[in-house]
Amino acid sequence: MFEFEFMRHAFLGCTIVSVLAGTVGWFLILRRQAFAAHALSHIGFSGAAGAVWLGVSPLYGMIAFSLLAGLAMGNETKGAGALSPQRDSMIGLVLAASLGLGTWFLHEANGASSMATTLLFGDVLGIDTPTLLALSTVTVLCLAGLAFLGRPLLFASLMPDVAQARGVPVRLTSLGFMAIAALACSACAEVSGALLAFSLMIGPAATALRLGLRPVAGLATAVSLALFLSWGGLALSWVTDVPVPFWIGLGAAACYGMACMVRR
Amino acid sequence: MAHPDNLSLDQVTLCAGAKTILDNVTLTVPMTGVTLLAGRNGSGKSTFLKACLGLVRLQSGVLLLKGQPPELACRQIGYMPQGLSDTALMIPAISHVMAAMKGARWGIPLPSRARREDAERLLALTGALSFARRPLGLLSGGERQRVCLAQALTDNPKMLLLDEPLAALDHEAQHQIVSLLDTLTRDLGISILLTSHETEALGGKMSRILKLKNGSLHV
Ligand SMILES: Nc1ncnc2c1ncn2[C@@H]1O[C@H](COP(=O)(O)OP(=O)(O)OP(=O)(O)O)[C@@H](O)[C@H]1O
Ligand SMILES: [Mg+2]
Repeated sequence: MFEFEFMRHAFLGCTIVSVLAGTVGWFLILRRQAFAAHALSHIGFSGAAGAVWLGVSPLYGMIAFSLLAGLAMGNETKGAGALSPQRDSMIGLVLAASLGLGTWFLHEANGASSMATTLLFGDVLGIDTPTLLALSTVTVLCLAGLAFLGRPLLFASLMPDVAQARGVPVRLTSLGFMAIAALACSACAEVSGALLAFSLMIGPAATALRLGLRPVAGLATAVSLALFLSWGGLALSWVTDVPVPFWIGLGAAACYGMACMVRR
Repeated sequence: MAHPDNLSLDQVTLCAGAKTILDNVTLTVPMTGVTLLAGRNGSGKSTFLKACLGLVRLQSGVLLLKGQPPELACRQIGYMPQGLSDTALMIPAISHVMAAMKGARWGIPLPSRARREDAERLLALTGALSFARRPLGLLSGGERQRVCLAQALTDNPKMLLLDEPLAALDHEAQHQIVSLLDTLTRDLGISILLTSHETEALGGKMSRILKLKNGSLHV
């Protein structure tokens, strides 16, 4: 299957995105922000729709919209767990509003329903060189950001009160991380679609955390699983002709199920 | 007044929501040894500790801990909040301690044996080494308390602020923690400010008692 350029592109795209999704996803799950990840990718969808309407590249619309929303969410989350119910309803409302906007954008950009399908389900086989370049740039940016934030972010995620007492700028780290997560969600949406962008982020990370691993081992496991899922999904979809997101989504759930059986 | 070991309050007013915790209090107390902050439920002990760390703003007045304002003093303080945290329960206990070591610095720490051994030393000190590899969420309340104490001891603090460190512990464990705190003050010269309702368990180990009542604080 590697004799076709689109397959080579697809594998490369999946590799980049898996590394990103595994790492960012691990922190998202650790901070109990699975809902935020879900919301961000859908908010990205609205941004992409807006970009289509304006005639710009959807990736930029996605990034712009989810960055804005990510910053709004990061600003709201004070500490990690304390305001949880309020936080969830905030995210839900931002999501609802932007989905509304997205629908309107799609309506305005008439005849764009095939575009909408692409945005929602992704078009991994249609990744071209400029997209690959954009993806790599986003990934490098995000990983560099995470490397910089790493220590305070981990501290603040594990023990927000203690971290704040030790002088960690908890709010700033949270904002920085949400910006990174927003970028990462957009990049993942490019490969697995807005609807399933988050299966690549959540599945591997949740599995790694379920296993009760230390941070370094957990991150490594999350990235490996994400690679395994996306490569496996591509290969299976090549053989069976079933869309990639199907395999990734089911695979993610299966991984988690196995982790539960291994570690009761 | 400027003695480096003092806690000094100058016309301090501190509120939590609508409740006044400290009402224009002026006081200077030495902080050597173990100081017990006593008061009834809801009198504002936890809020006062948070104010000492700069986590809660004073309404007015000046609070100095070891001659420094809270924002500076907090860098040399190990803090243990009240109750059990509900974050990141799937991460092993030892990682919780390691994350607190120089945790405010940017970047990522290189995995090193020295860091691990340091964390293990602290966990051994608080009697938590035997369950250090298990995820925090699978430990009992008392076991988690010991992990939190080890966490407060990271980065060689000069002072410990412990919010209810004896709650949820059995008598044996209370006794162990109290004698550990006693050792820390005597051998390492760490001063400790703690809240507790278990006055008997503390025995004669405390150097003084600070009473917080109806907006006033006195020795
Ligand atoms: N953020 C807040 N908003 C409003 N009220 C608050 C807030 N934090 C604390 N309070 C109130 O301030 C009072 C003091 O709370 P605090 O937790 O400091 O008490 P405490 O002395 O530590 O009690 P306990 O012995 O139960 O631990 C309580 O009446 C509480 O309801
Ligand atoms: Mg309290």
